[in-house]
Amino acid sequence: MPPKGKAAPKPKASEAKATQPSSSKKQPAANTPPATIAELSQLRLDESRPFDAVRRKQGLSALSRDEQTTWYAARFARQPAHARNRVPIKTQRELWRQVNEASIGLRALRDHTTKWGLAASPVVTSGGDVGGLSIEAFGEWSERRLRLTALEVASRAFRERRERARRGETEGKDRVVVTETDVDDEKERRREMAEVRQKLYGVVTGRFALDPEWDDVVPIPHEEPDGALAVIAYPAEYAEAISYLRAVMASKEYSDRCLRLTETIIEMNPAHYTVWLYRAAIIQALKLSIPYEMEWLNKVALDNLKNYQIWHHRHLLVDSYYPTIAEDAEATKEFGAAEQAFLTRILAEDAKNYHVWSYRSYLVDKLGMWDDPGELAAVEDLIDADVRNNSAWSHRFFLVFSHPARSTPGVAATEPDPAAPSEIVDREVSYAKDKIVLAPQNQSPWNYLRGVLVKGGRKLAEAEEFSSQFVVGLGEGGGREEVTSTHALDLLAEIYAEKGDKERADLCLRRLGEKWDRIRVGYWEWRRKCLN
Amino acid sequence: MLEPLPERFLAADPSRSWILYWTLAGLTTLGEDVSGYRHRLAQTARGMQNPTGGFGGGGGQLSHLATTYAVVLALALVGGEEAYEVVDREGLWRWLCSLKQKDGGFQVCLGGEEDIRGAYCAAVIITLLNLPLELTPESPAYTPDGSTNLLSGLADYVRRCQTFEGGISGQPNVEAHGAYAFCALGCLSVLGDPRRIIPEYLDIPRLTAWLSSRQYAPEGGFSGRTNKLIDGCYSHWVGGCFPLIEAALGVGADGNSIPGSLPPPAETLFSREGLTRYILCCCQDQTRRGGLRDKPGKMSDAYHTCYVLAGLSSAQHQWELSTNDTNIGATLGATGADAVWNVLPYLGGDDDLQVFEREDLVRPVHPVYAIPLASKDAMRSYFLAKGSSFDDDGAAATAPGE
Repeated sequence: MPPKGKAAPKPKASEAKATQPSSSKKQPAANTPPATIAELSQLRLDESRPFDAVRRKQGLSALSRDEQTTWYAARFARQPAHARNRVPIKTQRELWRQVNEASIGLRALRDHTTKWGLAASPVVTSGGDVGGLSIEAFGEWSERRLRLTALEVASRAFRERRERARRGETEGKDRVVVTETDVDDEKERRREMAEVRQKLYGVVTGRFALDPEWDDVVPIPHEEPDGALAVIAYPAEYAEAISYLRAVMASKEYSDRCLRLTETIIEMNPAHYTVWLYRAAIIQALKLSIPYEMEWLNKVALDNLKNYQIWHHRHLLVDSYYPTIAEDAEATKEFGAAEQAFLTRILAEDAKNYHVWSYRSYLVDKLGMWDDPGELAAVEDLIDADVRNNSAWSHRFFLVFSHPARSTPGVAATEPDPAAPSEIVDREVSYAKDKIVLAPQNQSPWNYLRGVLVKGGRKLAEAEEFSSQFVVGLGEGGGREEVTSTHALDLLAEIYAEKGDKERADLCLRRLGEKWDRIRVGYWEWRRKCLN
Repeated sequence: MLEPLPERFLAADPSRSWILYWTLAGLTTLGEDVSGYRHRLAQTARGMQNPTGGFGGGGGQLSHLATTYAVVLALALVGGEEAYEVVDREGLWRWLCSLKQKDGGFQVCLGGEEDIRGAYCAAVIITLLNLPLELTPESPAYTPDGSTNLLSGLADYVRRCQTFEGGISGQPNVEAHGAYAFCALGCLSVLGDPRRIIPEYLDIPRLTAWLSSRQYAPEGGFSGRTNKLIDGCYSHWVGGCFPLIEAALGVGADGNSIPGSLPPPAETLFSREGLTRYILCCCQDQTRRGGLRDKPGKMSDAYHTCYVLAGLSSAQHQWELSTNDTNIGATLGATGADAVWNVLPYLGGDDDLQVFEREDLVRPVHPVYAIPLASKDAMRSYFLAKGSSFDDDGAAATAPGE
């Protein structure tokens, strides 16, 4: 039986010295203080296993014969019982005797105590091995770990208390409550925990994980299959927000915190259509104030001019808001005017934004703004600012000719509509002509003019005289031919064809292909074929 | 672009599925074999598919018609059963039914906008995957008497998007825009024989005038709207309209001119030389980055690379619809899906300069499905063989040609 550890007599100082190997004096390292904790633990290990240290560094032969025996005895004694029992009983007794005589400490440190392991941390350099820390740095490190443990305990206590409060438990006579101060303290605590974790392990704690409000949501992180194509590296905060989004969408939660979550994600990635539709659903479910949402949206729109989703979101907002004001003409008018004001502002930034114009045509139709003088005036202002703004021209055509009181449902845009009033057609024809004169090679008003004439069921020939002023000496040689608008020549070709003057029409088209618009010669040649 | 992308691509997160199509289509048009991506694409696409049908822009995103279109085309490009079988057709069909609107159009996603992209994408998806046309009772367009289906009213919706200028807008009553012109013609060309359906629903002379006006001198490229600047991507959106317009002109199903119809062009409706010059001289990003771009001064990207190459392909090829009318489609109401298109490299008229080298000839791209002809045929045949009913675990309940 091995003697119990307690039973082993404590070596006296002089005896202990005797157990130091003779060759250990040769080691200078013993005199230099350790720089890192790995060195310190190695030193301690060596002190508790003096012979092992010498053997490891210098080989067994560096030990004297007696020392070798003691080393072997120490090795024997530190083996587990079953290994020791492989040695004959008699030999065991002899070995124990030597162990006792040499006062070998049985509880020597184990070899692995010098392995500190890796930690990803800004303070741990040298390949991430904690053992590389200086003794002071390790002290700091250990203090942080203690601090983190303390904070974690307090945080758990907070969670438990909140859970008890949720269950309506009591403390003595009083109900368990979690006050706002408690929540603020917890927020502060988590902020500190995140800071300590960052210093200890280099991990960043996301804002949602920090927020006690989100504790009940188990985020669903996005994982890509192995070898997935075009995987985008998500910034940590985006990845975290998206994982919470997936979780709340999966549980169909419509709440204030979800609304704030959508805002966070929209700020990071406004093109994320899923989050916009979810936001619209939240607003609808919670019956939130739409004017308030519009106000928020205005700011987002001004910051993200090219964004597509914003305008569909606005469309959805109007869809649910309009029925609440439809009966009130004054409120509808006021709302329409506010929208017009905002559209004017946004179009001042980007006058041809397709999504803005799509929304505008929807708004006119929805609110019935057909006779609103402000709408036509807004379009005129934009055309005055840039006579080539085709988006504004298109909106004007819609405003004038899709008016329910002066259009026939089902008539195509390129077809005549008997419901289009003659005086309106006249007004629009002269409007277009006025603008053409400003810049004859601007195709927008030419397309508009032709469109109006067709819509009004007029002959294109009504514009013959007007168009002719841009074409001089057609087909005449000697440099007399002058065309200041190919669009005039194009329209004249149609006018002549309409009048049955194929020859003249053909001349217009031929000259377009030969001289005035050569890139489109294939088209002009086809038009010539169409004359027959 | 197919390998891991850095954080600055975050804004592309909702259109990751598009990146798959753009890159694979671009490589294919350049003549590369992309079937080696089959397994990885199948894995990626699975992660984008929702249990309620359809594909989102990425994992955890709502299904969207545009992103579903992109995934389905990407799967067609890599081809093979492993890719095809990714698609949950029944779920997709149910989801499409929920998007179908009473007025004939499609919402692009549940609660999303209704526009002509939805019309085109839906027509392509339905016919490539041979989905049934019946509507579920949950569909907004469902009628108990069965008088409506997934495709009914769709051509009328397209018609309502033609504007006074002749071009096509994204939704009725908005400005004509090049990308939507392609969607309109593509959608109609799925629904019926382009020779009949395009003249029936659209004003061809106005549309042709508008399309032709998109080509400007001296650049040679196409703009997307009246008075807007040229952008390389319209080489496809506008350039890709011409094969469909030309198909609609003049030639009847019997190969003869339809009396009273418009004549076919003598050579070509647009300047192929101009477009080719713009693409080769202005759209190539000559930096180490490579790729194709909108215009000089801009950076190349996957979107422009894909569509500029597709546009180059339209400039370099001549398309013709097979004149025999035996190609009545297996999907009633979508007879254009099986139209037989013949293609030849465009050799140019006498005066037309061949402005590119022989080795710069890119592959033909299907004028409607925007993938190679063989990829479209392989996918559609695979699903025609499976039938368009799900009753019997995909077994052919409706045999092709019945």
